[in-house]
Amino acid sequence: MKKGYLAVFLVLMLVFGLTAVGYVADSPKYGGVWKDALQSNPPDLDPAQATDTTSSEMIYQMFEALVEYDNEGNIAPLLAESWDIDGNVYTFHLREGVYFHDTIEGGTPTANGGREVTAEDWVWTFNHICDPATKSPRAYFVDMLVGYDEFREGSADCLAGVKALDKYTLELTIDRPFAPFLATLAYNTFSVMPKEDVEKWGEDWNFHPVGTGAYKFDSWDQDSKLVMVKHENYWMKDNAGNQLPYMDELEFRIIPDYTMMWEEYEMDNLYQTYVDDPFYNNAKDRENYMQRPMLGTYYYGMNVEKEPFKDLKVRKAMNYAINRPALIDLVMNGRGTPAKGVIPPGMFGYNPDLEGYSYNPEKAKELLAEAGYPNGFEVTLQYNTSKGHKRIAEGLQAQYQQIGIDVNLKNVDWGTHLDSVERGEVPFFRMGWVADYNDPDNFLYVLLNSENIGPKGNYSRYNNPAFDEWTKQGRLQTDPELRKEVYSNAEKLVVDEAPWVFIYHYTTHSLVKPCVMNYELPSFGQYSNKFRNVWLNK
Amino acid sequence: MGVILMFAYLIRRILTTIPVIIGVILVVFILTTIVPGDPARIMMGQRGDPETIKLIREEMGLDNPIPVQLYDFYKDVFTFNLGRSYRNNQTVVQAIVGRLPVTATLAIGSMIVAVLLGVSLGIFSATHQYTFLDYISMFISLIGMSAPVYFIGLLLVLLFATHLGWIPGTGLGNGEWIYYLLPIVTLGVRPMALIVRLTRSTMLEVIHEDYVTTARSKGLKEKAVIFKHALKNALIPVVTIIGLQTATLLSGVILTETIYSLPGLGRLSIQAVINRDFPIIRGVVLFMALVFVVANLLVDLSYGFFDPRIRYD
Repeated sequence: MKKGYLAVFLVLMLVFGLTAVGYVADSPKYGGVWKDALQSNPPDLDPAQATDTTSSEMIYQMFEALVEYDNEGNIAPLLAESWDIDGNVYTFHLREGVYFHDTIEGGTPTANGGREVTAEDWVWTFNHICDPATKSPRAYFVDMLVGYDEFREGSADCLAGVKALDKYTLELTIDRPFAPFLATLAYNTFSVMPKEDVEKWGEDWNFHPVGTGAYKFDSWDQDSKLVMVKHENYWMKDNAGNQLPYMDELEFRIIPDYTMMWEEYEMDNLYQTYVDDPFYNNAKDRENYMQRPMLGTYYYGMNVEKEPFKDLKVRKAMNYAINRPALIDLVMNGRGTPAKGVIPPGMFGYNPDLEGYSYNPEKAKELLAEAGYPNGFEVTLQYNTSKGHKRIAEGLQAQYQQIGIDVNLKNVDWGTHLDSVERGEVPFFRMGWVADYNDPDNFLYVLLNSENIGPKGNYSRYNNPAFDEWTKQGRLQTDPELRKEVYSNAEKLVVDEAPWVFIYHYTTHSLVKPCVMNYELPSFGQYSNKFRNVWLNK
Repeated sequence: MGVILMFAYLIRRILTTIPVIIGVILVVFILTTIVPGDPARIMMGQRGDPETIKLIREEMGLDNPIPVQLYDFYKDVFTFNLGRSYRNNQTVVQAIVGRLPVTATLAIGSMIVAVLLGVSLGIFSATHQYTFLDYISMFISLIGMSAPVYFIGLLLVLLFATHLGWIPGTGLGNGEWIYYLLPIVTLGVRPMALIVRLTRSTMLEVIHEDYVTTARSKGLKEKAVIFKHALKNALIPVVTIIGLQTATLLSGVILTETIYSLPGLGRLSIQAVINRDFPIIRGVVLFMALVFVVANLLVDLSYGFFDPRIRYD
């Protein structure tokens, strides 16, 4: 009998012991310093000016918008608790108890004093962003706000379409239906900023950012290190009601060389790293290597106004000539999804049944012969200097050689590339696009509608009235089913007319240390991760 | 009298710096103007709004006629107003001053390493000509001359940081000296190799001169012969090379700072070129030109110390 009690006791101890261990392991721990690396110095910590992913990653930690994307790319409430849409009027019910940072840079009080955010702050922020004097590169994302043109031209003092109805209610009115409007507001430019601090710092505001985010700005040694510290007065709590964020500090070192970044990770000096191709085999089987499709498309643009790409048959042949899965496996360690069209997987309107172009070199040769190039032709591919782009270009060069197309490779730096491509001077060029907002409008309208030929995004100079009409309807239409239909029609048409060589859709990846908890890869890419929920099990 | 002559020489040299600076400004301006790539466009990212691009170009003065831009640039330089970075709005002076300590530490540290090791090995090789140790020393200097900075840097990190774990690999930590060790060695290897070879050959020439034989015949100890009589004369070409190496160091620093993720002027300038950040490019080039001019002036002045026969008139 005694032995029986003892056995039961031991079993109970074991069960409770294990549960306790499990509980301890799963309960978030406070404290610790997140150590991470950026490949370049972020140029902008001012949300109104940022256009690059490095700046965005920093801004996401310190600033917040009305809405955000969850990790699956769906719109979720952030500083707006809820919203009503009545035609062209969007009414946002703001979250109460959201405070600006009260101190930055090691305890220096901010000009706003850590006060609560109200609808008036949003009115000021939208006016500040859209003010021509601010020269915000992304202000035009909201050019449908009522009074935008008048304000920009100077005939109005403020945006008529942005109003504070009361302390916690903000009304935005747009002058035409624009289905992705809410999605646009999740872009990091449209983050609330405190007027007092922006005005206090003036031209130096970029170096003293103050927001409402989970982390406060602490220090920024240019080209060396950027440090943020916990915002003690942050509004968000986890599911168990614990105050967020968990970690005390975020430290981002600037390490421009991926080999060095990898070595630092291996020496346990970083918790997370980008894995460059040479290290992929080493990283891929590790427990904490994460990878997922990302909202982006990599393509080679063909200028449809230039020979030989004026001819549809040539453009189709260019698409049939390449073996996408082989290229992705051979050159990119399989880190990509073969592209059948423009819209990436995971985005609203993605069509998994799209036929696209399969590898068919015989058909490509036939099309070339029909187009008057039975022996192929010679063309120069221009790409912006990068080892990755070079590897892909060389892979495709070899594939095109098989059907008689001699592709010469020319690499130039990004500024030169962008300049010459958007002026329509380059017949064949590399380009890629990662979503600003999760909507097909951001791909089909921006990159291929004829209104955007040139710097606004349509570099192939594709121009088809039916496509233009569909992509415009997609903007105006609010019924999701109808939108899906028009975007499906538009994508089928553009794939058939092939102004691009559709190559692959991006994936995003990250390798993190086993002690890192709650770390997830967002569909927008690793850069859009927010660290408010991440904790260190150490 | 000597001091007055030297002072007059100094003034003359400083005055000759002015046309050099004017020339440098002109060359930098022309290069940054003709290079393709619009800074306003690059700032906008891949998707650019023409109206905002126009506003930014206006603010940068990029839509002014070229002669007006050149005039403005000269005016700004001579009024010590180098403007702000197009990229992040930091003032050019802040950007340079903020990064100068890192680059200066690297350049001075590597030059000290290069001179100390280079001159010592050079003397040793010359005084032990055609011995095994001479061959070893020449072999090391040959490697140092031929191996690219990038290669040396990666090897050192792999060995000392990754495998042995003795020294941090990248970054600045909290500014501890240990973080500078590998970058200084990396940057110093090439000038050291050059100095070894030059010291050896000039020493070999000098130790066969009559006055050295005379010194020996007077019964002076070998140490005194080498260090007091031979070395001082052998050092003149070495000092010239040290001055010229300043320029090489300033270019080598770009790679070294990139490998070791150090926030110095090299990284600043390479990023500025990529982003067409004209104010930063112009500021850094101007600053480096000044450093080069000053380094060479100091070298010229030091000749008198090594050889009193050299006069400043």
